[in-house]
Amino acid sequence: MVRAALASKRRIGQGPKSLAVFVPAATVVAASLLAALPIVDHSGWYPDFGFLVLISWRLLRSDPWPGWWAAPMGLTNDLLTGFPIGLSVALWSATMLALDLVDRRTMWRDYWIEWGLAAVLIAIDEWLQWRVAALAGARVPIEAIVPPLVISICVFPLCAWLVSRIDQWRLGR
Amino acid sequence: MATARPGWSRRAQYSLFFSFLALIAGILVGLFLLAMSLLAPTSFESIRGAALDITGPIASGLHEVTATAEGLVTGAGDYWDAANQNGKLKREGAAMRRQILQAKAIVQENRQLKATLHLRESQHDAIAVGRLVGSSFNSPRRFAILSVGSSDGVRIGMPVRSPDGLVGRVVDAGALASRVLLVSDRANIVPARLLRGGIPVISQGRGDGMIDVHPLEVGRNPFKRGDIIITSGTGGLYPPLVPIARVVKLDDDGAVAVPLADPANTSFAIVEPSYEPAAAVEAP
Repeated sequence: MVRAALASKRRIGQGPKSLAVFVPAATVVAASLLAALPIVDHSGWYPDFGFLVLISWRLLRSDPWPGWWAAPMGLTNDLLTGFPIGLSVALWSATMLALDLVDRRTMWRDYWIEWGLAAVLIAIDEWLQWRVAALAGARVPIEAIVPPLVISICVFPLCAWLVSRIDQWRLGR
Repeated sequence: MATARPGWSRRAQYSLFFSFLALIAGILVGLFLLAMSLLAPTSFESIRGAALDITGPIASGLHEVTATAEGLVTGAGDYWDAANQNGKLKREGAAMRRQILQAKAIVQENRQLKATLHLRESQHDAIAVGRLVGSSFNSPRRFAILSVGSSDGVRIGMPVRSPDGLVGRVVDAGALASRVLLVSDRANIVPARLLRGGIPVISQGRGDGMIDVHPLEVGRNPFKRGDIIITSGTGGLYPPLVPIARVVKLDDDGAVAVPLADPANTSFAIVEPSYEPAAAVEAP
């Protein structure tokens, strides 16, 4: 009985999945591919799924992928979602850099800080999309970015939860 | 925290330093690409087309699935109240036939009048017919994905319409799918006129599925609720006499209109040749 209590609950043979290193990046690309869903919509209020999954991973772990992977992943996002090419490349690399710097400053993290950080990053993303659209000749009123911003911020916890489950799965825990 | 304190290891310090450098390089490359795609929009035509060939067919396939599911649901719904609907449709059909006869007479008269004026009517055939299978639902821009591409003859700049009205124009063309700039996009400015009276107006998308219309001449607001806006053909990008939108609300110097071709409910979209091919080359 004592032995049974001491024994680990983990079963033998459980461990990181093969290719576990590539799982985070693959989920980001899969999220970008959601742009191929057959939704024809006028509002443009859907979240930027690729970016949400990217910051969810980065806020969960400091090393989901080597930092420079953000640039090719951003290029994939631009191509799949139809953003001007370069928008996500620059934004995603800058996000990785900013979060590296934030990691050096913050003494502790909790759920609310992570959500706040995510909200700030999502706001920057939405504003940049609006600014680039304006530069490309499509200047919509700035108020138009409020609904997608609120929706994205509300969707983030769900996305973070999904990502943490995928992380558990890929590490075999 | 892996990045916070690399410790005394020179190797760890260097790897941290180079990861920062790589990120900064990524930002610079991204900004350069962004500047290129804003200043020279044609530079990434081929790669954007290739990407469309990945997402387009996926969207088309999923669209078939959802359309079938929707069809089953609405098909079942149609059986309710069928007798009533049948009677109503018969009455509408009779009224429609009378109107068609009138219209035929008018067409004939029109043809005779044009013949006397020696006007030559240029007939445009459809290049391809496709379905709108997706859209840019997560950006302030209003694009739609069309299920036909350059293998069907679609080229950048061609106008796209549905039986109801103008949808937009092609901005990216892959082999299997293409991207359409909808009339409701802010950057899509269409020279138009009022069907009632022919007053020249400008139609510009609002980015939220609606359209702003403004008269070319400043002054009196010529719009009334229910007015139909049609293309004027000025500029050569769009063919003339294609209905665009119906006015629903007036504001100080113009009006807000709803596109007649709702991309979400358009059963099929017709790609037409550029009205004046030279114009398509110049348009961004």
